[in-house]
Amino acid sequence: MRAQKINGLLFLVGLMSAWELAARADLLNPLIVPPLSRILGVFWNMLWSGQIPMQILLSMKRAAMGYLLAAAIFIPLGILMGLSQRIYRTLEVIVEVLRPVPPPVVIPVALLFFGLEDEMKIFVIFFSCAWPILLNTIDGVRNIDWVLLNTAKTFRLSRVQTIRRIILPAASPQIMTGLRVSLPIMLILVVISEMVGSTDGIGYFILDAQRRFRVAQMYAGMLTLAILGYALNQLFNLVHRRLLSWHWGMMRRNLE
Amino acid sequence: MNGRYHFNWPGWSSFVFLLLLWELGARIAPSYRLYLPPITSVMAALAHLIITGAVGRHLLVTLERFLAGYLIAAALGVTLGIALGYFRPLHDLLGVVIELLRPMPSVAIIPVAILTLGIGDSMIVAVTVYASVWSILINTIDGVRHIESTLVDTGRTFGLSRSRILWQIILPGASPYIVTGLRIALSIALILVTTAEMIAGSKGLGFFILDEERSMNSGNMYAGILMVAALGYALNRVFLAAEARLMKWRHGMMARELA
Repeated sequence: MRAQKINGLLFLVGLMSAWELAARADLLNPLIVPPLSRILGVFWNMLWSGQIPMQILLSMKRAAMGYLLAAAIFIPLGILMGLSQRIYRTLEVIVEVLRPVPPPVVIPVALLFFGLEDEMKIFVIFFSCAWPILLNTIDGVRNIDWVLLNTAKTFRLSRVQTIRRIILPAASPQIMTGLRVSLPIMLILVVISEMVGSTDGIGYFILDAQRRFRVAQMYAGMLTLAILGYALNQLFNLVHRRLLSWHWGMMRRNLE
Repeated sequence: MNGRYHFNWPGWSSFVFLLLLWELGARIAPSYRLYLPPITSVMAALAHLIITGAVGRHLLVTLERFLAGYLIAAALGVTLGIALGYFRPLHDLLGVVIELLRPMPSVAIIPVAILTLGIGDSMIVAVTVYASVWSILINTIDGVRHIESTLVDTGRTFGLSRSRILWQIILPGASPYIVTGLRIALSIALILVTTAEMIAGSKGLGFFILDEERSMNSGNMYAGILMVAALGYALNRVFLAAEARLMKWRHGMMARELA
């Protein structure tokens, strides 16, 4: 471990002990900032009582469905829009009108259609992850080297083969970028939609704990979210490296 | 962007076609009116809300909160970012804390803000600052780090004072990154303002939209959404115009380098 990192960790430990001591010495209002040890204790208990895992499971099920649905629809659409200027022009105005809508204002619409059901959150996540995925896919397809496409033509590859063998791999780094950008958006939107209209899930859990003044539980919920955010990112990196290892290998070879 | 603008006929016709479909569908099947009122009645509701001033009040409140939060975040993020980018030991000290806080979805801070600040303006502004400061901070740090050290050294050699080095070398040098951070923060800030208004608030567009949904006034609800979208679009336009103005020198410089 580098020396710089140690300074940072020492500072963190110092900050945490200051928090703990200040809270124990009644310098902090316990209704607002309880001692850190209590928060960690509550977190630990809820982890093993199954309460936190259950909330995570509920939230992640909704998040994953919205995210995957957005990927399943908007990656193919992005490929079509990237390949055909006509399709792009036809859909351009609709995309440009819908895109600037801040995702949370879609929640009331989703509430109107789906009530408090899971579909409400899924729709909201689907809507908000759609744009980064779509726009990055279009860009990725457009930036494909035309020599590749011509080669495909020369070898008389069919359209489906060209898309599968050439376009999809060549555009995949940028498609991955879109998927990565959407990941935190997905997490934010599942939390927001659970705060605004839900009876369970991690977002609801945190807000509900605040409303009942169960402050330690509230912080434990936030800690859960931070860990979740971190874990999702790591997981994505892992999948990314696996799927695109050929790409990085190729890049390295080109540099040599 | 070559000055000539071709009117996008297929794009606008498909958009109008969609609106017509919506209008006709709502008229043919009145049972769906609650979900999708005819677009003409949404427009009528919007006009009515604007004329009576019912929505203008909420719009102003939202805009005010947005500006307060965004500007504070910008000042805070740029200042802190320059300090952290420039003074390595400071970054080493705070880096771990930043890395710990960043992956948490920013909206999770709303309950804490309600607890400490109640449900007034200050809570919404505070939440907006917290959420939008990250992208500005991280980008500013990156920007300062990417400045060529020869530039700063040259400044030193010429005996420039610290403040002149800051204003004439570091700030302009890091500005492309800072602008990127500010642009990302723009949409984040708007998301947070409307979200906080939905969760806790008695005014503002976020509150208005959710309130109209709860009272089943879907016409007003869609009108409110149009207002928010228009606000987001307008803010983005203002930002781009300001960027073009402020960063003009840079494009000029780049063009010279290429020539």
